[in-house]
Amino acid sequence: MSDQTKPGTLLLVGVNHTTAPLDVRERLAIPVGRLADATRSLAGQPGIREALILSTCNRVEFLTVIESANGVEPVTALNFLHEYLNIPTAAVTPHLYTLREREAIRHLFRVASSLDSMVVGEPQILGQVKESWNIAREVGAISSMLDPLLQRAFSVAKRVRTETQIGSSSVSIASVAAELARKIFGSLAHKTILLVGAGKMSDLAAKHLIQQGATTLLVSNRTEARAERIADALRTPEITTGVIPFVQLHDQTHRADIIITSTGAGQIFEPDDCRALVHRRKNRPVFFIDIAVPRDVNPAVNDLEGCFVYDIDDLQQVAQQNQVQRSREAETAESIVQLEAERYGERLAQAPTTEAIKQLQSSADALREAELARTAQRLANLNAPLTPEQHTVVEHLTRSLMNKLLHPQIMSLRGTDTKRRNDD
Amino acid sequence: MTLLWLRIAVLLYGVAALAVLPAALYNRPRWRHIAMPSALGAVFFHFVALAEMLNAAHHALPVDTHETLSMLGLLLGAAFLILATAYRTVSFGIFLLPVAALLTLVPAFRPGAEVLDYPLLHTGWLFLHVALLLAAYAALLISLIASLLYLVQERRLKQKRATPARTWLPPLETTDQIALKSLLFGLPCMTAGLLIGSVVALETIGPAFFADPKVLLSLAMWVVYVAMIYIRRHSGLRGRRAVYLSGFVFLIVLAVWAANQLSVVHRFKAP
Repeated sequence: MSDQTKPGTLLLVGVNHTTAPLDVRERLAIPVGRLADATRSLAGQPGIREALILSTCNRVEFLTVIESANGVEPVTALNFLHEYLNIPTAAVTPHLYTLREREAIRHLFRVASSLDSMVVGEPQILGQVKESWNIAREVGAISSMLDPLLQRAFSVAKRVRTETQIGSSSVSIASVAAELARKIFGSLAHKTILLVGAGKMSDLAAKHLIQQGATTLLVSNRTEARAERIADALRTPEITTGVIPFVQLHDQTHRADIIITSTGAGQIFEPDDCRALVHRRKNRPVFFIDIAVPRDVNPAVNDLEGCFVYDIDDLQQVAQQNQVQRSREAETAESIVQLEAERYGERLAQAPTTEAIKQLQSSADALREAELARTAQRLANLNAPLTPEQHTVVEHLTRSLMNKLLHPQIMSLRGTDTKRRNDD
Repeated sequence: MTLLWLRIAVLLYGVAALAVLPAALYNRPRWRHIAMPSALGAVFFHFVALAEMLNAAHHALPVDTHETLSMLGLLLGAAFLILATAYRTVSFGIFLLPVAALLTLVPAFRPGAEVLDYPLLHTGWLFLHVALLLAAYAALLISLIASLLYLVQERRLKQKRATPARTWLPPLETTDQIALKSLLFGLPCMTAGLLIGSVVALETIGPAFFADPKVLLSLAMWVVYVAMIYIRRHSGLRGRRAVYLSGFVFLIVLAVWAANQLSVVHRFKAP
């Protein structure tokens, strides 16, 4: 076999949020704009046949197919880091992990399925892997080995998403609030959010709700100038914003479907206020997200029909319960990934033997056909040509002989392969 | 053949009713791929069976109890498909599909043999009368189910229990919309159905028709139905009180149905 037809070795070298601190990851991160050039450059390194770079805020990984004979594989990736990113290898080496063959396959499947993410089950990673794959394809850095492997990784990720509920529940306060709002209102399109008070978390919750489709944002703050600043900061061509003077809060609250309150100035919303509010809304539900400490909304408001009150502890509790549920789902997902990685590894390990057997059978068959043609010609020259029936019988005979002669060699090849895999 | 189609429909309703449980309650979306085609097949075979049944009986309307039940089952099956397509929720199937299967079960395995003698039996007017009223009943049942689902979801949200994002319960606003829209759909059906029935009965029976208990109850049902829509629209009635109101109207509907036993007009005896 020539060097190019010899099977390559799968090698994954990288750092992630568990092995490297942020400053190391920052230095290694490759922006999307430079990913094509970096991938091309990595694939051009000596000894590397195929290459793909995955660079996100939590990980930088180099997935490569290298020449089997090359015994200095990780050094190639380190050289690349040194040459391309100008990072001294000593600064990175302690944080690097190196995975080969089946371990690399399993790791890739785990990454694509979001089992290796900082927030397990987050959906962005699959898109990032796909983006890296697209770039590597565009620059011609991946072919017969990495391309099918990546496609398999996407199928595994899809299977994990379909067969488990790993990504179905929210685990951050802001996303829990948005999820609860969806359970009340369905689509958040054309819904109005009222921000009472100001704070980082309330801003984040408002942004999450806007991402979900809310189109109007009202802000009310004791300091009106601050309310105006917040409204201006969140205004976009799609989002209408407005300011409600704090003294008019109770007169205007009925305009909002979702009220995020974070003043911490005592109970601004009492049951009587909310009874009037629901009446003015003709019993349409209203959702209070109370992230103030002390609470802005009297807990008794939750007992009123049409009022839903979630304070910071409630949101935290839901997030924690969701996290526990997600961890349970992750266990199922891990077993799916393990099974798929084993299957793929098995297929990959069998590939060289299968190829060798195919080549052996193909050469023997060519030889058989040539000999058969020569014999048929000789018989024709002796004026005793084979009839079609005789030709079929002889053809069958030679094929049968060939198979019987090849059988021990094929078995031997398969046996060697099994032994090698067992030894591995 | 009619009975065969009907039995296939019952079987498919049963499969759909079972498949909808894991799809809705256990968050297993794959089961949806079994529930939806099964329900679609059931509605198709049910329609074919009903059309054949009515054609063979040489009348255009479901008149005996079995045929009427069967048609109500068909309407409920079709309503499930419409709701599942429009609102992307199979939750209503938990209630509608078993009811559709049960309503079809009796005519599929014990076909009725009532002999009917009624002058306008073969006209389209009576068919419209029955079909429109059945559609109104189906709409009311859906509204009741939607109100119940609203109540369950409201309780869960108030209890602040963590539930997966893909819960079997539709969002509150969706169930509220379904409840109101089905009532709004049912009102013209009920009004037109009652008007057509009244005109036909006046022509064939005369003013004595208005003394019929079923007719009186039907008129009362219409008044309460209108009142319910008015209250829901103008006060935005939701939750527990909406369930009570829908339940009350549904009880009247059951009373109207049961009044067939006391009614001369609706037992199709010749005038």
